[in-house]
Amino acid sequence: MKSRKTFYTALTYAAGLLFLAVFIGPILWFLALAIRPAETAFAMPPQLTFEPTFDAFRHILVDPGTNAPQLVNSLIVAIGAVLLNLPFSVPAAYALSRFKLRGKKNIMLWYLGLLMAPPIAFLIPYFVLITRIGLQGSYFSMVLVLQTLTIPFSVWLMKSFIDEVPAELEEAGRVDGARWYTIMWRITLPIVRPGIIVTSMFAFVFAWNNAAFPLVLSSRSTATLPIGTLGYFATSGVTWNYIAAAAVLAMIPPMIIFLVFDRYVVRGLTFGSVKG
Amino acid sequence: MHATTLRSPQALAPVRRGFVRRNLPYFLIAPSVIMLLALIAYPLLFALKSSFYFWNLQVGPQPLAFVELDNYVQALNAFDFRAALTNTLILSILGTAIEFSLGLAIALVLLKALPGMNVVRALLILPTTIAPIVVGFLFRYLYDPGGGLVTWLLQSLWLPVPAEGILGSPATALAAILFVDIWQWTPFFAIVLYASLLSVPDEIIEAARLDRASAWTILTRIKLPLIRRTAIIIVMLRFMQIFNTFDTVLVLTRGGPGTSTRTLGYSLYEQGLVNFNVGLVSAQTWIAVLIVNIIVALYVFFAFRNEEW
Repeated sequence: MKSRKTFYTALTYAAGLLFLAVFIGPILWFLALAIRPAETAFAMPPQLTFEPTFDAFRHILVDPGTNAPQLVNSLIVAIGAVLLNLPFSVPAAYALSRFKLRGKKNIMLWYLGLLMAPPIAFLIPYFVLITRIGLQGSYFSMVLVLQTLTIPFSVWLMKSFIDEVPAELEEAGRVDGARWYTIMWRITLPIVRPGIIVTSMFAFVFAWNNAAFPLVLSSRSTATLPIGTLGYFATSGVTWNYIAAAAVLAMIPPMIIFLVFDRYVVRGLTFGSVKG
Repeated sequence: MHATTLRSPQALAPVRRGFVRRNLPYFLIAPSVIMLLALIAYPLLFALKSSFYFWNLQVGPQPLAFVELDNYVQALNAFDFRAALTNTLILSILGTAIEFSLGLAIALVLLKALPGMNVVRALLILPTTIAPIVVGFLFRYLYDPGGGLVTWLLQSLWLPVPAEGILGSPATALAAILFVDIWQWTPFFAIVLYASLLSVPDEIIEAARLDRASAWTILTRIKLPLIRRTAIIIVMLRFMQIFNTFDTVLVLTRGGPGTSTRTLGYSLYEQGLVNFNVGLVSAQTWIAVLIVNIIVALYVFFAFRNEEW
């Protein structure tokens, strides 16, 4: 009986190691590409040891040549998407959580349905529209169209957080004669601050990782990191070190956010249908 | 109206506040709905109108002729568009099914709460956090025929690797793309299913064990039904995401070789942003939107029928 248990324990650990090898191994191998001397990237058999060099990062960060600082562009677009998103999604989430509404289910499903629209199908119309109103290549155009993804998602996630604030707290405010907006602003929103932070983080990651919209709407000077990687891919052969360095820069913020907010990640990924 | 104008100003206030208060939730929801309608309705109507015209930006800036349903006929008859539809369905159905099953298996392993497994769980989410376009580059490097790690591993295991490379052969390219999606999204299913399984009360499982229920019965009859709502939502979202995939295809194969990895998303990209065939791509868009809506409507109808909100 005991040896059988030891056997299962060993098996579980072996499975855990296998998962790490399969799912994390490729990421580590790609990270190594960014600091490898170029000539060892495709050595057969693969070379595990090498002299690390940070030339690729230096090129991406310090010497972008004709390219704008894509790291900065990515930050502007992602932060902008978050800032535009909250004033629209938080009140809607508050209403959907706090009030009895006719057609609530349909409204919630409508938001969910928007997440399923093929973004790529909207690119041509957006491109035509944005060009007509003279906003092509602007940060604002990207921030604006990203809302099709981030508002529905944020409404669902925020609602799950507001759902958990006990109604008694708001009742207490009402008894003291406070108006609904005072209650929302002074009582409910401060309590759901972690929810607002997590919602912002997810909106940030969505905007940060999105390549479809910047692909069409950005210009050379407003290109974000994912577009940067495509750029190193297209011009004069494949410059793998530069791609890897730009890609690593693009990978790190979402990874840090997901690891730091570990306990909220599941909630975000399922819009709170599992309480994380 | 007349009654209120005769009243004193003090008496007016509660009436107006009553109106605002009665409709307050709608006032709070309205900005987001208006914003989303503006962002979604324009593209859809634009595409609907354009789909009836011959309009190619490479030929001229304006629509050239009203062609009725020609664009739809052309899209549906085109070999490459039909291939894209087939590939997309294969990818989304197989991808969702495999990712769900593998994810569930991993979740069940993680549930054996051994010391150190929480580190495995925390790290496991990382593939899901990476931008799809970056995942595309990651695997392009791994699949490289001249020294990619995957190619080397397969050769070391004496497995056949096509001479054109894994992505270069029509026999393996679609499977390679499917594998990339599985790699990125299985952890997502694993983590979400793990967390929802944690919320299943131990007492129920214990009671079932006392009744000599097998592990399989406990899983299919107790655990899965209890996490049903989460499962419904993530399966639906994932299905739609794969259905719309284009970034990984753009980086990995550009739909080739031939039409072997063409997907709907990539087809829209190519017709719209490479060929600038606005009329044709608009028809393709509407075909895609209709298919998506039919699938989702059916799914939502059956899956959410008994859900409370």
